[in-house]
Amino acid sequence: MFFRNLTFFRFPTSLAKAFDELDARLEECKLKPVGPSELMSRGFISPFGRDDATMSHRVGDAIWITLGGEDRLLPGAVINDELGKRIAALEEKEGRKLGGRARKRLKEDLVMELLPRAFVRPTRTGATLDLQHGFIAVDASSRKSAENVVSELRHALGSFPALPLNAETSARGVLTGWIAGEPLPSGLVLGDECELKDPIDGGAVVKCQRQELLCDEIRKHLESGKQVSKLALILDDHVSFVLGEDLVVRKLKFLDGAVDQLENTDQDGLHAELDARYALMAGELKRLFAVLEPVLKFSPAEA
Amino acid sequence: MFLRLIRPAPPASETRLLALADGSEIPVRWVRDPRARRLRLIVSDKGARLTLPRGASQKLALAFLQEHRDWLAEQLARQPAATAAPFARGSQETLPLRGLELPIEWREGRFARAELGEHGVQLQLPERAGDAQARAALRDFYLGQARHDLGGWMPKYLPALPRPPSSFRLRPLSSIWGSLSPGDALSLDLSLVLGRPGAFEYVLVHELCHLIHANHSRSFWREVESRWPGWRAERDYLRGDGLALKARLSRLIG
Repeated sequence: MFFRNLTFFRFPTSLAKAFDELDARLEECKLKPVGPSELMSRGFISPFGRDDATMSHRVGDAIWITLGGEDRLLPGAVINDELGKRIAALEEKEGRKLGGRARKRLKEDLVMELLPRAFVRPTRTGATLDLQHGFIAVDASSRKSAENVVSELRHALGSFPALPLNAETSARGVLTGWIAGEPLPSGLVLGDECELKDPIDGGAVVKCQRQELLCDEIRKHLESGKQVSKLALILDDHVSFVLGEDLVVRKLKFLDGAVDQLENTDQDGLHAELDARYALMAGELKRLFAVLEPVLKFSPAEA
Repeated sequence: MFLRLIRPAPPASETRLLALADGSEIPVRWVRDPRARRLRLIVSDKGARLTLPRGASQKLALAFLQEHRDWLAEQLARQPAATAAPFARGSQETLPLRGLELPIEWREGRFARAELGEHGVQLQLPERAGDAQARAALRDFYLGQARHDLGGWMPKYLPALPRPPSSFRLRPLSSIWGSLSPGDALSLDLSLVLGRPGAFEYVLVHELCHLIHANHSRSFWREVESRWPGWRAERDYLRGDGLALKARLSRLIG
């Protein structure tokens, strides 16, 4: 249930009131099963599982929502193979080569014929909204899937002015500074993974894992002008993650220091366990954002 | 399927000399582009270029060039010298930022970084870094400054827009200042941060207004006018000094 990646967007904190009727709005945009001749379908589902009735879960000023989806799997190779056979059969029967338009029509017919028989793959993407700081963090490392969740939420709410996270400083410069020995913000320590890039076009890339970062080898790379594009960090011994120059948090992992608190809870049932886990995650993400915001100078979404 | 992998060949081009009114000759690059719809003469930091549609005759193109040769001479005279060398480590020139000229303060450090200091731009480079790394640090610096400006302006315009842009992209663009894709991705020319801030903000407002009207109709200009009444002055500034800004950025960040 814990998110693995975070792509942030910011929205004005004055929007908090708009989320009072969130459940009803999400209910209207609930996931519908993919039709027999549709390629995919998207809609909101309950964060507690598809059969649960609650469409969102709120803990304090944090809201957890989940975008569900169903994609039909129809590989291009399957279509092309079947299309090749049909074209060969038709050409033999008619004794002439098929034109481009006829081939295209044949392909469209074939797709419509195969779609109802294709497998349906369910997908789900979680997102958490923080009304205090005005951010939404989507559990996706690709900008496209993250934007999808935000645009579905916008569709559900009617209006949702969320902007991609904007750092008013060079994230690459800040990360490089940390690895070169400049002080990190309180609570953050370096992890054991980084990616260094020579910023010129087609420049060298060095990726290291399980590597002590404050060492001579790394220093030599920095001396030749390379800069950090991804850096592993640990916050308060609770969360480890890799922060990229694109401001996307990847490989997010909740460490024993944080998860230990969960085991002390004496509530039972899946619902209670997910609630406790979400409360923990929302708290940690709030702290993570509060630590990164001043140092990377994230722009607010309101004047 | 494989057709998609093949890129269309670049349009055929040849360079011909054009005699100006004062008797001097200048090279003009003739490009025959099947996608072009009309004859087009442009001047950029790479020189003059004449674009011809597929069916345009040479006679017509020559007449077109003759008709506009005075304009061409005037534009070329305003271009900065094309021979200026790219920005190099240790250079003592000033750096343009938001319409001002700032001095460079060179420093030696453990890693490459450019920052805005009290008295100018502090460019820190490690011992072994070369000119290319200096230019890359400068590019990073300008990107940070442009994002800073965008971050300050966006909240002002956001409430009155039907939807926010899906993403922002800042990079050097060769001829245009900005664009908004059908997927609402906003692209802006990085050299805008070199010029005066009003022009940068106008281009942002212009592209944001395309979220309301995806055209240049009267209604579109009314939206621009209501947000940025002095847009004509900014447009004239970009038309006048714009090419020099683009050329300067390309020299600075290579």
